[in-house]
Amino acid sequence: MKRFITISLSLMIAVLLFAPQQVFAEKPVKIGVLVPLTGIVAQGGLEMKYGIEMAAEEKGTVLGRPIELVVEDTQIKAPVAVTKAEKLVYKDDCKALIGVFSSGVGLAIAKNIDKLNVPFLTTHVMTTALYGLHPLVFRSGQLANDQTAVGNINGILARPDLKDKTYYVIVHDYAWGHDGGKRFIDLAKANGIKIFNEDYDKAPTSTKDWSSYISKIKASGADGVYIVFITNVIPTFAKQMSDFGLQGKIKIISAAAPGPLELEAGGEACYGIFGASDWSWDVNTPVSDAWELRFWNKFKTIPSDAAVHSYVGAMNLFNAIEKAGNTDAKAIADALRGISYDGPYGNVRISAKDNCMRNDAVLTETMAAPENPFGAKVYMKVLKTFTAAELGPAE
Amino acid sequence: MQIHRTGKHIMGGTLGIIVDISLNSLVLSGVFLIVAIGLNIIYGLSRIMNMGHGALYAVGAYTGYTLVATGLNYFAALIIAPIVVGAVGLLIERTIIAPMRKRSMVYTLILTYGLMFFLDGMIKYVWGNKPCFIDLPAFLKGTIPILGTQYPIFRLATLFFIAAIMGGLMLFLNKTKVGIILRASSTIPEMVSCLGINMNYVHMGAFVLGCIMAGVAGIIAGPLTTIDPLMGGEMLISSFVVIVIGGLGSLRGAVIAAILIGFVQTLAEFFITDLAMVIVYILMAVILAFMPRGLLGEGKFE
Repeated sequence: MKRFITISLSLMIAVLLFAPQQVFAEKPVKIGVLVPLTGIVAQGGLEMKYGIEMAAEEKGTVLGRPIELVVEDTQIKAPVAVTKAEKLVYKDDCKALIGVFSSGVGLAIAKNIDKLNVPFLTTHVMTTALYGLHPLVFRSGQLANDQTAVGNINGILARPDLKDKTYYVIVHDYAWGHDGGKRFIDLAKANGIKIFNEDYDKAPTSTKDWSSYISKIKASGADGVYIVFITNVIPTFAKQMSDFGLQGKIKIISAAAPGPLELEAGGEACYGIFGASDWSWDVNTPVSDAWELRFWNKFKTIPSDAAVHSYVGAMNLFNAIEKAGNTDAKAIADALRGISYDGPYGNVRISAKDNCMRNDAVLTETMAAPENPFGAKVYMKVLKTFTAAELGPAE
Repeated sequence: MQIHRTGKHIMGGTLGIIVDISLNSLVLSGVFLIVAIGLNIIYGLSRIMNMGHGALYAVGAYTGYTLVATGLNYFAALIIAPIVVGAVGLLIERTIIAPMRKRSMVYTLILTYGLMFFLDGMIKYVWGNKPCFIDLPAFLKGTIPILGTQYPIFRLATLFFIAAIMGGLMLFLNKTKVGIILRASSTIPEMVSCLGINMNYVHMGAFVLGCIMAGVAGIIAGPLTTIDPLMGGEMLISSFVVIVIGGLGSLRGAVIAAILIGFVQTLAEFFITDLAMVIVYILMAVILAFMPRGLLGEGKFE
């Protein structure tokens, strides 16, 4: 009996001495991932999740602790996203939030960031309203609307077949669409590019039948159309333009990069879409090529720009936590300002001036894909690379 | 709006625009009509408000896409896909609807609402989130010149398909014994039952017929726009607007309402883009304010 008690007490003491240390050493750093996994942009949200997951897996640990991603579906609705963000911070104890596809959703979370009090890094929100919005709000991902406009305008001006066209502007009717449309029109007018409808058409995001809009474009006599559409809608619009016999007659310039799976579905009808983007898998650098193969091997889906800039954004966040040395919100935010990551599309640096990234980008046009490891039949061919300085905004 | 710059093009340009708008309206009206007719058949004959009707429309579209993608001819898929949806409808009717038929309509409303989520979930599980496009036969691709405009051949073909389907449906309901029984069952079900006709089979037939119409609409509408997991929910709302404006259970009302909504929506999208859908719903509110039972009243299955 005495022996039994002695052994039991020894075991209990051993557990008390060693277990807490073990728990602290392995307690993960939780990062809240907010992406749309249902609704109109579910595919894009899934690709963003893939990019962030891949970054977390490759990074492995921060501050000697494993990274734990807690993923929530925003359903691309602002109220839902804010509720999920609160759950991630208050219930799941996430030290930072990352992701978000829609500008409307991103701005809604930014509005609540004082209450949430964690750094929020978006990898897809493109609205220019994010520049210097809040000390805890950051962007490291998709080009902002002004950067896209600069890229597209410069691309148009460099092409004799494009610069004399008259452009009809249609946008999706929400924050990002309006911002993107306005940016393009203002810059186009300043550069002598003709715009047919300066008050641009605004289509509901639920629009499936584009025939009325296509009839308007035909009626206008415009020979170019600038679209600010959610990525997976772009091939649908392009296909219906092709159905109406307008492919090749009216040039489509897009503010957002079309999703690769949607391009595959649209096929030849999606050839000829022109636009500026962070990246395409046609970017032929060793770092990009290696990333593409790792992504393909892991997820067996064509690497997309939604995935790659979420990957890069996540790496910036993880590295900032390392740099901060702890998970304090202000320390991470301070570390994020000025941080940079060298990835598939070069150096991506978060500006200390406005918390938004500066990086090189590419001008692309969709066409038949060359032989590639992904079996893709349509791709975004890189026509030109823009430097970060060219795209701005100036710091 | 500036149309064309040179005088010699003005007539062709304006006429072309009118033709474009008219044909777009008719195509949109036609798709609304086929879906709404199916919903009305089910309600008119069984007093079941099938909230899963939009999901069945999506199943028809995806089934058609899969059949064509595996190499089947589009016209063969146009026949097989609705049959598949009809079979799904039969299963639903036997397992979910029939046991609840004698209860309040609320039960079937809730059950079919749940069915909608189930079918939408199954669609995403099987086909994923990415949009799909049905590959049409070569002779249906391209455009054809009509009165100053170039119009897609498939959209014109759609009008013929829809006219043929509606004609076939009218013939079936008016000239066949089964059709006459279905129509009689909507107004005097007791008399039909007294004549020795099993009303369970009548209700089953009506439900399956409605589902077949949803499947037909799906495979016809699929190549017009895009096939994606959200298409069912969006079409359900539009078809409800049509049947409410036309009059619940009224087939003629559905025809008038579908044409009205199709033209109003297309014209609104063309001229007042920002407020197009607002105008449609204002129209519905105005009609219902003056005619609460819809244009042709409720319950007249004719």
